[in-house]
Parts: sequence; structure tokens; C-alpha cells
Amino acid sequence: MAEKHTEEEKTLLARNPALARRRVQTDRRELDEAADGRELARTWAKVHGLYGWLTNTEHKVIATRYIVTAFIFFLLGGVEAALMRMQLARPESHILNPDFYNQIFTMHGTTMMFLFAVPIMEGMGLYLVPLMIGTRNVAFPRMNAYGYFTFLIGGIFLYTGFFLHVGPDTGWFSYVPLAGPGYAPGKRVDIWAQMITFTEIAALVGAVEIVVTVFKQRAVGMSLNRVPLFVWAQVITAFMIIFAMPAVMLASSFLASDRLIDTHFFNPAEGGDALLYQHVFWFFGHPEVYIIFIPALGFVSAIIVAFARRKIFGYTAMVLALIATAFLGFGLWVHHMFATPLPQLGQSFFTGASMMIAIPSGVQIFCWLATLWGGKLRLKTPLLFVLGFVAIFVLGGLTGVMLASVPLDLQIHDTYFVVAHLHYVLIGGAVFPLFGAFYYWMPKFTGRMLSERAGRWNFWLMFVGFNLVFFPMHQLGLKGMTRRIYTYLPQTGWGDLNLTASVGALVLTAGVAVFIFNFLWARRRGEVAGDNPWHADGLEWATTSPPPDYNFAYLPVVQGRYALWEAKEDAPVVVGLKTDCREVLVTTVLDAEPGHVYQLPGPSIWPFALALATAVAFTFGIFTPYAFAVGAVCAFAAFAGWFFSNPNSENAEAKAATPKETTTKRERTGRIAVEGEA
Amino acid sequence: MSAPRNVIDVSDMPHHTFDVGEPVWWGNWGLLAIETTMFGILVATYFYLRQNYQLWPPPLTSSPQPFDSLPDLTAATANVFVLLLSCVPMILADRAARRGDRRTVQIALVLCLAFGVAAMVLRGYEFRAVKFRWDANAYGSIVWFTLGMHAAHLLTVTLEAFLLTLWVFLRKFDMKHRVDITVVAVYWYWVAAVWLPLYAMLYFVPRFG
Repeated sequence: MAEKHTEEEKTLLARNPALARRRVQTDRRELDEAADGRELARTWAKVHGLYGWLTNTEHKVIATRYIVTAFIFFLLGGVEAALMRMQLARPESHILNPDFYNQIFTMHGTTMMFLFAVPIMEGMGLYLVPLMIGTRNVAFPRMNAYGYFTFLIGGIFLYTGFFLHVGPDTGWFSYVPLAGPGYAPGKRVDIWAQMITFTEIAALVGAVEIVVTVFKQRAVGMSLNRVPLFVWAQVITAFMIIFAMPAVMLASSFLASDRLIDTHFFNPAEGGDALLYQHVFWFFGHPEVYIIFIPALGFVSAIIVAFARRKIFGYTAMVLALIATAFLGFGLWVHHMFATPLPQLGQSFFTGASMMIAIPSGVQIFCWLATLWGGKLRLKTPLLFVLGFVAIFVLGGLTGVMLASVPLDLQIHDTYFVVAHLHYVLIGGAVFPLFGAFYYWMPKFTGRMLSERAGRWNFWLMFVGFNLVFFPMHQLGLKGMTRRIYTYLPQTGWGDLNLTASVGALVLTAGVAVFIFNFLWARRRGEVAGDNPWHADGLEWATTSPPPDYNFAYLPVVQGRYALWEAKEDAPVVVGLKTDCREVLVTTVLDAEPGHVYQLPGPSIWPFALALATAVAFTFGIFTPYAFAVGAVCAFAAFAGWFFSNPNSENAEAKAATPKETTTKRERTGRIAVEGEA
Repeated sequence: MSAPRNVIDVSDMPHHTFDVGEPVWWGNWGLLAIETTMFGILVATYFYLRQNYQLWPPPLTSSPQPFDSLPDLTAATANVFVLLLSCVPMILADRAARRGDRRTVQIALVLCLAFGVAAMVLRGYEFRAVKFRWDANAYGSIVWFTLGMHAAHLLTVTLEAFLLTLWVFLRKFDMKHRVDITVVAVYWYWVAAVWLPLYAMLYFVPRFG
């Protein structure tokens, strides 16, 4: 068929020699898109009702659940923050008692870190990555459902404890000995430790999901040097999760076993070591910051490219900077422990490493500025949030460089200066880009535009509110106000700054409220978005808004780094995937050449069953170690059920009604059974 | 019907390949990367706690054998050989699955299960050969924890192989499950391989470290 190649196709083959090498032939064919779409819609259709809810394995549904659930936790964490600001608004306040205040700040930190930030970033990834790389679902759809259920159960478990007045009260990092068996009797810390296990399982599942999906299911032609920066950010984050989360699983398991079965990991009287906990926890805890922050960098790159209307400046430098940040992120954990007796050489090493992180961050900031500089800016809400991010994040980065130096850190350790710094980094570095991302991708998610006017109110309220809350905290910290105190005396002179911060909290809350109203309004009355309202470059904009269950009628073929901007007039599409079962194309890791076609499994109840078995082990595990044995048996039963279950890949309805039709369909697409040829 | 479009037809592509071609092979390596990190941190924890002791393990102060607190080598060393030997039938199953030889796969997997059970029984003796319970001191805690985490993997991989054995006896010898056998083989080799440094650490650091 080579003689039939048009000029365009010849260019395509020349630019991607891999295609020619594998003799992937392009062909011309008349396609009945409407009929194929109907068939695909039937095959990928959702099951309705409660059973359908429990068995769904579609990535967009699971991801939406992650995003919505995590956003609800964000609101709960926000209410806790508001309660703290109420309490601290004036000296000697008694709205909250000390014990409740301890629970509140612990719940706030725990919720924001484990139940909001990580899951919502992964949720955005699980929604957008398959669309951006042009495939129909993630690589392991059922594991994906399992991950969500464990996350949900973990969150419910933590809040059940809190509402029963057994909320954890030892801070979001639960240092021993305070959190150990000697000083924290009762079940509070146990609930915290097991919640960690649930959420980390979910994070790890999601991470493997994203890595494998991106490695193996990219659109034909999307070689690694054409992968969108957002997808790079998600993959790098996933790798960080894979290497960081095991540490916190161990930290929380050691803690739980010290409390439950009397091991002595952290008990100095029997050769254990309290500092060991800090090491193991922060070996996770520092990379965690980047796990939250790197996906946000992906949002920023995507938004800047779309609104500056030009290609990113320094793509390779950007990718390398992300990877460098991820590597360096594992060498910084000790800077959280400068106030502990460490060897001086170690302190200097970690100071150096902490300051080094400014280099890749700086590279990225300059690349973005260079992109914006030459671009024709459209100052829409997503870009406003990104500019807000740059301003806030640079301030947070500067205080970070300050905190990296040991003498200064010793003075302001555990003061409000640190609180200010971490909120500048995390809210500035993650929440602002996240809201920008909401405005940017909400048209894709819902099919309707959020209001631009409300968006501006939203941004300015949040920007002003944020700075009102957290800027005074720098000074409060320098004036000696320590973290986690439930009240203070009037003579300290902290009252005015605290009142300012509390007023700021109101403004910030108003900003979030505007977003919620904007969202609810837009769901019904927002302007209909169309496929690509921003004229952006990513493949996610090549399909309808919201995307159909099967994402693309024909999987796209990518001809450049900016898929839609660089697509040739008559770009080829992939045909020949069966429409009567959930088939996807598997491509090679580096060059994304077609490798084989692969049937993904469909809906199943077993992921939910396995999540329940996990829940048996870890919830009842706070009362008796035998729960782990029972849970393991249940898990094996669920796993066996899963293993022997029907893949449900085919369209059940069509299979039952007209078994003949399936065969003809196969003949029509010319499928040859070549299973043996590996 | 619309105008003709350029298409790439993938309908005659194979349904499965092995190793780097297969998503599940990558997924399995994801799990193993997670668990290798976990064992790496356990090793770091072991040496971190080691610093708190003059004598590692601390001397026993009571009968049966006062002062000799070294973990017994017999069961552990036997287990090294069992785990290494267990790889032989797994390699056979792995290769037979690739060429589609069902009979060899069946025999080899049953042999693997026997080795897996033997390794778990020996692991039971290994726990008894540690002279301290998990709640005696930090030494006992970390040794029990490490042995236990490895035992959990031993159990998991054996159960996984058990399910696949059931499948090749009861169901079709289809391509998907042939790929699964080669993937579980990777996990199996990993469980055996990761034991070697752990064995060296748990049994020889107390003797020479």
C-alpha cells in the first residue's frame, strides 16, 4: 500500500521512523463514525443504580469521585481551619477547649495532606492522563476502583473517630513519644495510623496505574519527547509516590505495632529510638510536599501554554527540572529535624541539598516567564490563578531558603513562621494552580464554562484573603508565637496580627464559597463549552465535553508535541479496535509504536469486596491483632473471586441478545486470531 | 458515511506479548519497586537500631543458654536453599508458559507450591530460632518485623501461584493466563532474591557486624 501514501503520510513516516520500521501502514478508508460511536457507547455504557456505582471501573467516574470526595474533605479541613482562626482571633479565648483544639489542628493537617491534597492531584491525573495520551481507560481499571474505595473508607474511618470524640490529637505527623503508647492512651492515634495505611494504599495504587498507563497506552506517535508536561508531572509524581509512601506505611505500622502489640521500635528504654520515627516519617514527608506540588506544576505548564498561545519555552529543561526536583526531594528530609541532635556534617549536607532545590524551581519559573513574555496573553481566570501562584510561591520559596539554614531554623522552629512558610508553599504552590485547573478543565469535565466574572471575584478574594491570613503569621512567628497553642495572653502583643489573620480567613472562605456557587450555577446555566473552548493543544480537547464513556471514537495519532496545534490536515486515526468489547491499543514505552491490542476488564464488584476485606483488617486491627488474620483470609477470598470473575469486557447486553452479531462484527473488522504469536 | 480518512488499521495486531510489552508486567514491577523500597527502609531501620546497642543482639540473661543470643542458622540457611531451588521449577513454568506447554506448566507449578509451603514451614522455625520475642526489645521487634514482612510476601506469591495453578488445571490455558504465569514468576524470583541480603543482614550482622 506504500504507493498510496500521500505527501502528508510520507512526512509522518519520515518524522517518526519507528512507524516505518514497524511497517504500520496508513490506509484510506471511509469511516462510519456515528455507527461506531453508537456501538462503543453501548459497550462502554455505565451500569446504573447502587450496584452500578459499586462496580464501575471507568477512569473518569473514579477520578470524579476522587476529586469530589477530596474536595469535600477540603471543605471539612477548611471548617477546622476556620474554627482555629475563630479561637485565635483574640487572646484568652475559650470557644474551643484545649483538647478539642488539639483534635482540630490534627484533623486539619491530616485531612489536608492525606485526604485532600494527594488524592485530588491523583484524581485530576486519573481523569486527564488517559485523555491526554489518547486512550480509553487506565491500564488496570479494577485496581483503580479498589484504590478509590480504600481512600473513601480511610477518610470515613478518620471522621467517624473524630465525631465520636476519638479524633487524633497529636499533630498531623504524630511524633513519638507523644503519640506512643506511654503518652497517648486510647484509640485516637491508632485511628490516625490506620487512616494513613488506607490512604497510602490508594495513593500507591493510583501511582502504579498512572505509570503503567502512560508507559504502555500512549497514542501512536506520542514518543516520550512529545508527552505533555502535565503528563510528565503526573508520571514523576507517581514515581515519587512509589518510592516515598512505603516509608510512611512503615512509620505508621511501627507506631501501630508499638501501641498494639508492644514492640519497641520507638521505646528508648528497650533499645528503640524516638528519632527513628522522625527519620522514617520525613523520608516520606518531604517528598510528600513535592508529590502535592509537582502535579500543580503540570497544571501551570498546561495553562500557560494554552493562554500564552505559544509553545513552552525550554520543554527539555522543564522535564529535567521536574525530574531533578523529584530526585533532590528525597535528600532533604533532615531539614525538618534541625532541632534534633544531628551531626554537624549532616546538617550542612541537608542545608546544601535544601538550597539546591531552588535551582530546578528557578529553571521552571524562568521558563514560564519566558513563555509568557513572548506570548499573546489572554488573562482569563485560569491564568490569573497561575500568576497568583507565581507570586505566592516565590514568597514561600524565599522563606524556604531561610528555613534551610540551621541557625535561623533553630530560632523559629515550630513557630508560626513555619506555619506561614508551609501554607505559602502548599496553598500557593498547589491550591492556586488547582483552582486554575478547575477553571481550565471544568468545561471538559462538565461541558459548561464557569463564569469568568465570578472567577475573577473568586481569584481576588482568595488571593487577598490568603495573604491576609498567612502574611502576618511570618511576623507572629518571629515574635515567638509557637504552633499548636490553643490560646495566648494579651500581654504577648499577638492579638492584632491574629485578628488580621482571622479576618483574612473570612475573605478566603468567601473566595471558596464563590467557587462553589460558580460551579453550581455553571452546571445548569453555564455557557456550553464545546470541544475546545480555549483552543488549547492537548488531546483531551479533541473529544467532546464531557467526553463519552469510551473517550475517543477512533484513537488519535499524534504528530507533534502539541497534538492539536501540530496535527496535519488529514491526520490518520487508529481503526480496527473492536467496538463490541473494551479494547485498547498498547504501544511501546519510548516511541509509542503500536505493540498489540488489549482487552480491558469491565465492571466488577470484587474491587469493592477487596476494599471491605482491607477495611476489616485495618479498622478492627486497632482493637486486636487477630483482625489482620481475619482480614487476610477475607482478602484472599475476595482476590480469588476477582481472579476467577468474568472480565466483563464485552457488551453484556449485546452478547446475550445477539450472539451472532458479535462474530460478524469481528469479521467486519478483519480480526485474525494471532494469539500464539508473541 | 464521510469522506475517506487516513487510518492505521490495528485489527491484525497480536493480543498479547510477554515482558516489556505487557502492562501487567509493568504493574508487577511497580509493586516490586514499592516493596523493594520498603525492605530498603527496613534494612536502614535495622542498622539505625543497631547503633543503640553495644552487643547486638543483647545478651540473654537467663536459661536455656545464658549469653548466647545469636539467632540459630539451621532453619534460615535451609530456607535459603529452598527458596533458591524453588526458582528452578518456576523457571520451567515460566519457559513452558511462553511456548504454550500446558503439561509442564502444571507439573512445575505444583512443585513450586510444594517449595512455597516448605519455605513457610521453615520460616516458622526461623521465628523460633530468634532468641527474643517481638516485645522483648527493639532487636526482637525489627527482626520479627523483617521476617514477618518477607513471610507475608512468601505467602502472597504462593497464593498467587496457587490461584494460577487452579486456573491451568480447571480452566483454559489461555494467552492471558500464560502471561500471568510469566509475571508471577518475576515476583517469585524477587521474593527469593530479596531474601539473600535480608538473610545476610539478620544472621551475619550479629556474628560479624
